[in-house]
Amino acid sequence: MRPRILRPASVALFLLVTALFAQRGGFRPFAEDDDNVPVPPDAQEKTEYAFARLKYPSGRFWGYRGYWTIDYPKADRQFVQGVRRLTRLHTKSVEVIVNLDDDEVFKWPWIYAVEVGHWTLNDAQCKKLREYLLRGGFLMTDDFHGTQEWAVFMDSMSRVFPDRPVVEIENSDQIFHVLYDLDERMQVPGIVNWPFHRTYERDGYDPHYRGIYDDKGRLMVGICFNQDNGDAWEWADSPNYPEKYASQAYRTGINYIIYAMTH
Amino acid sequence: MFEFLFKYPTTVFSKGELVLLAPWPLWALGAAIAVAAVALGVNIRGSRSLLSGARPAVIWLLQSAVVVLVLFLLWHPAISIATLRPQQNVVSVLIDDSRSMALREEGGTRLQQAVSGLNSGVLDALRKKFQVRVYRFGKNLERIDKLEQLTASAGASRIGDAVTEALTDASTLPLGALVLLSDGADNSGGIDRETIARIRQRRIPVHTVGFGREKISPDVEISDATLPARALVDSRLAAQVTFRHNGYTQRKARLAVRDGNKVLASQEITLKAEGVPQTESLTFQAGIAGAKGFQFSIDPLDGEENVNNNTLLRLVNVEATKPRILYIEGEPRWEFKFIRRAIDEDRSLELVSMLRTTQNKIYRQGVTNARPQELEHGFPAKAEELFFYSGLIVGSVEAGYFTAAQQELIKEFANRRGGGVLFLGGRFTLSDGGYPASPLAEMLPVRLPPQKGTFHRDEANFELTPAGRESLICRLEDRPERNAERWKKMPLLADYQELGEVKPGAVALAEVNAPGKRRMPVLAVENYGRGRTAVFATQGSWRWKMLQDHQDKTHHMFWQQLLRWLASESPGAVVASTPRPVLADETKVHLRADVRDKAYKPMANVRVEARIVGPGDASGTVELLPQPLEEGVYEADWDAEKPGSYVAEIVVKKDQQEAGRDVLMFRREDGVAENFRLAQNRELLEKLAEQTGGRYYTARDLPKLSDQISYSEAGITTRETRDLWDMPAVFLAALLLRGSEWLLRRRWGVV
Repeated sequence: MRPRILRPASVALFLLVTALFAQRGGFRPFAEDDDNVPVPPDAQEKTEYAFARLKYPSGRFWGYRGYWTIDYPKADRQFVQGVRRLTRLHTKSVEVIVNLDDDEVFKWPWIYAVEVGHWTLNDAQCKKLREYLLRGGFLMTDDFHGTQEWAVFMDSMSRVFPDRPVVEIENSDQIFHVLYDLDERMQVPGIVNWPFHRTYERDGYDPHYRGIYDDKGRLMVGICFNQDNGDAWEWADSPNYPEKYASQAYRTGINYIIYAMTH
Repeated sequence: MFEFLFKYPTTVFSKGELVLLAPWPLWALGAAIAVAAVALGVNIRGSRSLLSGARPAVIWLLQSAVVVLVLFLLWHPAISIATLRPQQNVVSVLIDDSRSMALREEGGTRLQQAVSGLNSGVLDALRKKFQVRVYRFGKNLERIDKLEQLTASAGASRIGDAVTEALTDASTLPLGALVLLSDGADNSGGIDRETIARIRQRRIPVHTVGFGREKISPDVEISDATLPARALVDSRLAAQVTFRHNGYTQRKARLAVRDGNKVLASQEITLKAEGVPQTESLTFQAGIAGAKGFQFSIDPLDGEENVNNNTLLRLVNVEATKPRILYIEGEPRWEFKFIRRAIDEDRSLELVSMLRTTQNKIYRQGVTNARPQELEHGFPAKAEELFFYSGLIVGSVEAGYFTAAQQELIKEFANRRGGGVLFLGGRFTLSDGGYPASPLAEMLPVRLPPQKGTFHRDEANFELTPAGRESLICRLEDRPERNAERWKKMPLLADYQELGEVKPGAVALAEVNAPGKRRMPVLAVENYGRGRTAVFATQGSWRWKMLQDHQDKTHHMFWQQLLRWLASESPGAVVASTPRPVLADETKVHLRADVRDKAYKPMANVRVEARIVGPGDASGTVELLPQPLEEGVYEADWDAEKPGSYVAEIVVKKDQQEAGRDVLMFRREDGVAENFRLAQNRELLEKLAEQTGGRYYTARDLPKLSDQISYSEAGITTRETRDLWDMPAVFLAALLLRGSEWLLRRRWGVV
């Protein structure tokens, strides 16, 4: 008899705690749902630049969406509002989704890939990404952390460029100065770090800004490692996300775009 | 025949004056003719029963004509003409002694024909009437005693100079006429109007005798090759090579350009109409910096008579300078990045850019440590700052971004400084940027639509016009047909901007063909003042890079060629030049310097000096003197004593301080000129004779010269009267008139 009472009681208690926790914002302290972002009225406008989010294979996460969809579309749309306001760049109000399976990606010389600690590019996709970058395209990667995810990232990236090293970007590089001077950079935490007593995930204690250069010394790949600019863009409108992180993430993203359009 | 019928040569009639020697007045002749005509009319009217219709009138006309002729003869017609007094006049005989006179024709060389013609009695006949002075000429005129001194070895012939010098030599003598024996192959480019005018002032007839065939066949001759005197390192050069041929119509030949022994480019050509100048374009790479002598040649063909005229030398100074181009861009855009990348690959151009990233921030690129403050205060506001650049690219920038003074400065940048200005398309520029109402509209090679909303982010096809297919800007392949094919396969432009029609004098090199729109120019160029302007009404050519293999160079080539066109011909403040960088058997080089200050205003009151270094010790210094009619222009002549290459450094000093310098190259080549234009230039000889009151003779007509040369008003003359009544033509005319009447009457049965 006792176990028969205990089991439903345990379930009831779990549900009650969960409900209470959720009600006060426990798992998700930020009430907005990044899926329910309204489409702006000028979404169809043809522009010079669009936030091109790279769709890549990564297994399944959160149902059938895949890791490439993390923060999508709110981060994208919220970030481009900043790009529009802070620069003269003619920017599309909504993102475009590109992949490495067709040639549409070549029409978007700046692409963003999130959670690349989970990507699993096949050889054809590696080849296309290499060709894209050598033609003059730029890849910004973000939101992957720690040794294990770096290894996964490099498993594909080393097949994109077997002959090019990944290096730390020097402070003097124009990518940190093309519009905003970003000499002092902090680790931009993801939402999972709330309430931000710590800013790292897994063993990714220190933020790294790494890159891959072409033969002329121009960055082709900007690798934001151990940081989560995407979350900072996504939750920049929330009072619960510290402004200092959001501001840096905006500056970083804008610098990466302007750099890609000038180098 | 003429002389048989009319008793005297044509010269007598052309130079003489008709007179009537009878003592009776001229009106009496008219009256006599009238009375006779009336009397004849009355007489014929009396016999009208025998003649009907128009027949009486015909008979009357024939009889009247006979009466007129007889009455005219009664008045004693004659020709009054001035003739040279025997043994009191000098006749100068000038014989061409250049190498082309050694060319073998039927009956010996041209010189042998001239000598034998003179020796067959002509010279003796002249000597009986005149004092004869014999000269030979090539580059210079020299008096000779015997015809045996002629050698046909002079490296060039200058007919104008020779005639002028002969006139000067005999200026104190009663010179009656001048006889010129030549093939007309003048190497100084013909006889200019000034020389002709000088000869005419002396009123001395120049009689010319032409030797040599008027057509050399079969033969191919390169007559000219035009290409710029200066070029940038690695530039693609397009030479227009002009040639003509005789006897090889529709034959294939190979046209090539060489630098030393290295063939830079060659192409097969088909020789077209005989004797007509034909021009072909040959493109090649200028290569590394240095003074280059490019040899253009057509490979000798089977049986060609003269292969020495198949090659022509042209000098090009391939300069190591890097023209600096300023690119102002009003918004971040992909076109900007890819233009920068294209020029990064070009070691002959420097691109410095200012990009408006935000409303108030400008991002500068290409600024060097040598000028760290370059563009720090924005777009240049002073002439000397803007004119420092050789080219200017105006991107997506509103006209209103520039002050009125800056707009005027941009115009002067092309007009006065001689720079190139390229306007790109974009959402903030051209019609959408307020340009139609700005002074900058005047310098665009196209008219702009007055309305806004002309920029469209729709894909469009970029299509070359016929001019574009020929232009070096759009030349991706040397062969025009392959070039056109390659352009057809290019990715679409990402966008385009509407333009109006191309202005007179401008050229559209490409058009866009967008769905649902009319075809309109997208790339157009024109010369503006001393410089040039262009418009490229799109910001979507970056697709040519991103949508093609990363090793494809099309996009980079196009932009490098467009920007080289824009900037490479922008002159420096001091520009030295010479009309003939290759002196073919010439010694005199004409130096010219156009001197301007940093704001490119002509500089007066400066000292301009040319320091010339040539082969061996053939060096020197010459001061260039200001030209009164052209402010800032200084000129001088200098003698290049030895064959070989020369470098002239033109140094400008103002108040002992150097104000600028430029380098000029020229080359003296001996033994070349006489290989060209070997056919007899009859046109030149005829023109010279006609303009001076002389006459052109063929070699066959030479014996007539001694008789006809006497009819001249130059020298010491006497006036002679020659009867005309006993000309055979008169009797023949009378016989013809009477015979005609008799035949008609016989036919009509009224004899």
